[in-house]
Amino acid sequence: MSQTYRIGRGLVDTNSTIKFAFNDQQYTGHPGDTLSSALLANGIRLVGRSFKYHRPRGIFSAGSEEPNALVELRRGAYQEPNTRATVAELFDGLQARSQNHRGPLGFDFMGVNDLLSPFLSAGFYYKTFMWPKAFWEKLYEPVIRASAGLGSLSGKPDPDSYDKGFLHADVLIVGAGPSGLAAALVAGESGARVILADEDFRPGGRLHAETMLVDDISGEQWVANTLSRLRKMDNVRLMIRTTVYGAFDHGIYGALEKKTDHLASSDGMPRQVLWRIYAKRCIVCAGATERSIAFGNNDRPGIMLAGAVRAYVNRWGVTPGKRVAVFTNNDDGWRTASDLVNQGVEVSAVIDSRDIDAPLSISGASVVMGASVVDTMGRAGIHTIKLSNRQTIKADCLAVSGGWNPNVHLTCHQRGRPEWNESQACFVPGGVLPDGMSVAGAANGALSLSAALSSGIDSASLTLQSLSIKPASVDTPRADDESTRVSAFWHVKESTKRCWIDLQNDVTTKDIVVSHQDGFRAVEHLKRYTTLGMATDQGKTSNVLGLAIMAEHAGKSIQETGTTIFRPPYTPVPMGAFAGRSRGKDFRPTRKTPSHAWAEARGAVFVETGNWLRAQWFPIDGETHWRESVDREVTQTRNSVGICDVSTLGKIDVQGKDAGEFLNRVYANTFATLAVGKVRYGIMLREDGILMDDGTTARLGENHFVMTTTTANAVGVFRHMEFCRQCLWPNLDVQLISATEQWAQFAVAGPNARKLLQKVVDADTPIDNESFPFMACGEISICGGTPGRLFRISFSGELAYEIAVPTRYGNSMMDALIKAGEEFQAVPYGTEALGVMRIEKGHAAGNELNGQTTAANIGLGRMVSKKKDSIGNTLSEREGMNTENDLALVGFMPTNKSVSLSAGAHFVSKGNEANTENDEGWMTSVAYSPSLECSIGLGFIQRGQDRMGDIVIAADPLRGGTTEVEIVSPHFIDPEGERLRG
Amino acid sequence: MANITLQATSPLNKYHQQFGDTTLSEMVDLSIYSIGLAIQPDAALRSINDVLGIAWPETGRYTVNESAKVQLLGLQADQAFLLVGADLSKDARPNLGASAYITDQSDSWAALRLSGSMSRRALERICPVDLHPSVFKQDCVTRTSMEHLAVIILCEADDQYLLLSPTSSAESFLHAVETSIKNIY
Repeated sequence: MSQTYRIGRGLVDTNSTIKFAFNDQQYTGHPGDTLSSALLANGIRLVGRSFKYHRPRGIFSAGSEEPNALVELRRGAYQEPNTRATVAELFDGLQARSQNHRGPLGFDFMGVNDLLSPFLSAGFYYKTFMWPKAFWEKLYEPVIRASAGLGSLSGKPDPDSYDKGFLHADVLIVGAGPSGLAAALVAGESGARVILADEDFRPGGRLHAETMLVDDISGEQWVANTLSRLRKMDNVRLMIRTTVYGAFDHGIYGALEKKTDHLASSDGMPRQVLWRIYAKRCIVCAGATERSIAFGNNDRPGIMLAGAVRAYVNRWGVTPGKRVAVFTNNDDGWRTASDLVNQGVEVSAVIDSRDIDAPLSISGASVVMGASVVDTMGRAGIHTIKLSNRQTIKADCLAVSGGWNPNVHLTCHQRGRPEWNESQACFVPGGVLPDGMSVAGAANGALSLSAALSSGIDSASLTLQSLSIKPASVDTPRADDESTRVSAFWHVKESTKRCWIDLQNDVTTKDIVVSHQDGFRAVEHLKRYTTLGMATDQGKTSNVLGLAIMAEHAGKSIQETGTTIFRPPYTPVPMGAFAGRSRGKDFRPTRKTPSHAWAEARGAVFVETGNWLRAQWFPIDGETHWRESVDREVTQTRNSVGICDVSTLGKIDVQGKDAGEFLNRVYANTFATLAVGKVRYGIMLREDGILMDDGTTARLGENHFVMTTTTANAVGVFRHMEFCRQCLWPNLDVQLISATEQWAQFAVAGPNARKLLQKVVDADTPIDNESFPFMACGEISICGGTPGRLFRISFSGELAYEIAVPTRYGNSMMDALIKAGEEFQAVPYGTEALGVMRIEKGHAAGNELNGQTTAANIGLGRMVSKKKDSIGNTLSEREGMNTENDLALVGFMPTNKSVSLSAGAHFVSKGNEANTENDEGWMTSVAYSPSLECSIGLGFIQRGQDRMGDIVIAADPLRGGTTEVEIVSPHFIDPEGERLRG
Repeated sequence: MANITLQATSPLNKYHQQFGDTTLSEMVDLSIYSIGLAIQPDAALRSINDVLGIAWPETGRYTVNESAKVQLLGLQADQAFLLVGADLSKDARPNLGASAYITDQSDSWAALRLSGSMSRRALERICPVDLHPSVFKQDCVTRTSMEHLAVIILCEADDQYLLLSPTSSAESFLHAVETSIKNIY
């Protein structure tokens, strides 16, 4: 079979032939074809099976509203299910498969469902599978899911790439049909920045499907001329293959641009781009979608929308049938018959539900007025229709027109409700439109070509005026004002067979009646009860039909019955497009420390802390377990000297005459009195008195402080301080800037720390204990003149410093420190050893400052100065936070030293059951201490300070096990602080 | 003191890449200082005029003294970034008196210059700012975010932008810009 239904050139390039496969059969088509036009050209009518009953289904439409012709496109990992054949652009090598059938498409074993249809009406599941309850999850649901559905996924990672982007425009025009092109001409000629987006690969909308003239030339030629003018305008961006799928707040629109879907391969480029369009104004020129009429067996392959039949004939040069009948309730349906005859296709009959004079004379056709189609015959494809006057007519294609529905979807995305227009028998945009939006053309109910063109011109002019842009004078294109008379006619009551409303979800008129009978009468309930309007087409061809029939049964008007809420997306958007580049490593940025390259070369094992990659430990030859590395790093640091990159800590430069006062207010303890050249530990409270963050702040000058924050809170603390500066105390003379990235900072800890540093710090800065005591700081020079900073602070509990150089020297600095420390066997240490040593020393960190704890809880209640006010000061005095039973941070050691402790374990007194009522606190941090040669922990327990030496149970019911632990001082190492002051 | 000297490295190892007529390069000789104004800024503003030869910019604009190779970027009402085209080993910090609070930011930011005909189309993929020449003109600067990263972008000329993004995540930022170019190239 070779394109025996191709009757002309249409707008496809018949000089070139391309090959494609459908269900492994090879066919040919032409550039400009869609998969559906090419299938029809090859005489393929049966293209899929229905969702529920596995009924044979054929191509129903010629656009994105298609409910039936869904295919799995491409193969392997590239396979995409539920692709509408009507918008899939044909390319050489395209491979498509029909979906939702077991066995061959022509003989689907699941077709047995159709025989069971009397039992499977709306609400069937809810009523039938109620007992036994346990069967639902294990039996009923799996069976139902296996027997109903759409396409299947490949189950493999999507190998295509996707991208996102941002666009800006004065005017976004959605749809490049006659009204959209006319509007774009005016806006473009006026100098506005215009984006004209159209989902088709051939802009022009219905002009390509019709034979009407514009300005005395063919519609196709007028489109070409208009596009040529628009393409010459720098201020107009024409985006084809681009669907504006959502209207969001503040003039933001979502659009999906298909970049390579029409190509055999993406060749490494993004397949699709998801655009966020910021538009000052939007003109929706989205056209209209034809609807069907419900009559007996109206779902057979070969039964199509009349406008689609016309489009296949005129645009693609393909006839969907050799002998076509037309069933209509409006004048537009007659134009299908007329165009078919003009193209030499036999029209066997035109049946019009209206009892009026025939609007046109159709040569050779039997014209039946005031009648309806009641039934059709032909399982895999229609061959006969039966009329209400009992006449039977042969037809291998039945073109049905129930009128046109303006595509109002975008106008409703912010909960706007369309209004019913009785004379046009359709919903038109109504109520409050999204800010800046107007509607033109068929989407606004201007259904004739002439009306659409003038509507586009007028709407653009008004839109430009609202932007204070003078509209250019553009003549309204001349076109016929063709008749769009319609008489509402929803379903054929004489039909005794099933009359289908929603072809994608197998919803019939009977289902609507059942929904009404069962009390599900509101449209939103109707949708959920029957599945009307769900899935990929979202009821574009079925919604109005369904709710009109519901209105009829409810005895209400259609306006009263209303529509369901339209929500984005207008058409399906692949999940990959929403993800964009955010896959794998690109999911989030990576921050690297200044000495990352050095650590990497040294074979460090890295850990993610937020976006940072930090060296966790530095294994050396012979070490087979991380604990060996960490124990060595801790031991060597405590015995000699270790070096750790601590650049990730937040650093905030605070300057100004009121900097000290500012810090007094954000810190709970006092900073205004801190001497220049000194560092102080500070705690910061939230407004509610809970601990927010801690760290040290150094005073480098009278008006200059440098604050450090925890790594995790660096951004949050800076934001908090900016809020305080700008909003709470704008009268203070203070300036803030983050300096986290500016400085590479290294902890140098251990008894030989000073000796090591004396080899790199320039001689003009003495760092002996007297000249540079504990908590001293200063701006220094390093390694012969490199500017730096030195802080005598210790997180490890050892004699320790933190030395900082500009980040560009960070990698070299790490190398220099290790080389300078060779004679001391200096070791680099990572975050694990850092954590071990801070637990041994009893320093609180993120596990202890978890948003639940107070200064008093961590034993620093006296740091909340009562001589001044500060954020959180007052609320930290709340009664509930200051009870005798308060939690206190203490240390824990297992009574059996061979046992490992678990962070997260909860404490109960010995003899008490481990339950919530007896809970006395929890373990926050644990580590194996190489110094003490056992597992140790920090944790909160009620009245902890008064219970030193008590034995309690650390219960860990989640992971299993209980451990006896002794309450001890949190300062496991050097509790008097002699080392760090040495 | 041991005979140890420190070697400086740039965040992106002096990256330079050509994509057709579009170039993406790391700018290495760029000193950056934040200048915060005191509550009484008159003296600082006079100093800026006297010392730098440029006026304090309004937020979203930058001022230039081409002969002195300095630019002052108006990032907020009381804060600007001073860009000085000079070898980083030399201290380019200006003396603006006590009513201007200066903080060295030279090592905080990686600087990329994107120039060429594809620049704007590439940035469309990651930059939410409207970069149309009629909106984001040659004297415009703004803070924004691209691919979750903080960015300061300024328009240096037609189809030429300077992008500043934090040093620690500079490689991720470069990857984002490179990918944007490749995705349209």
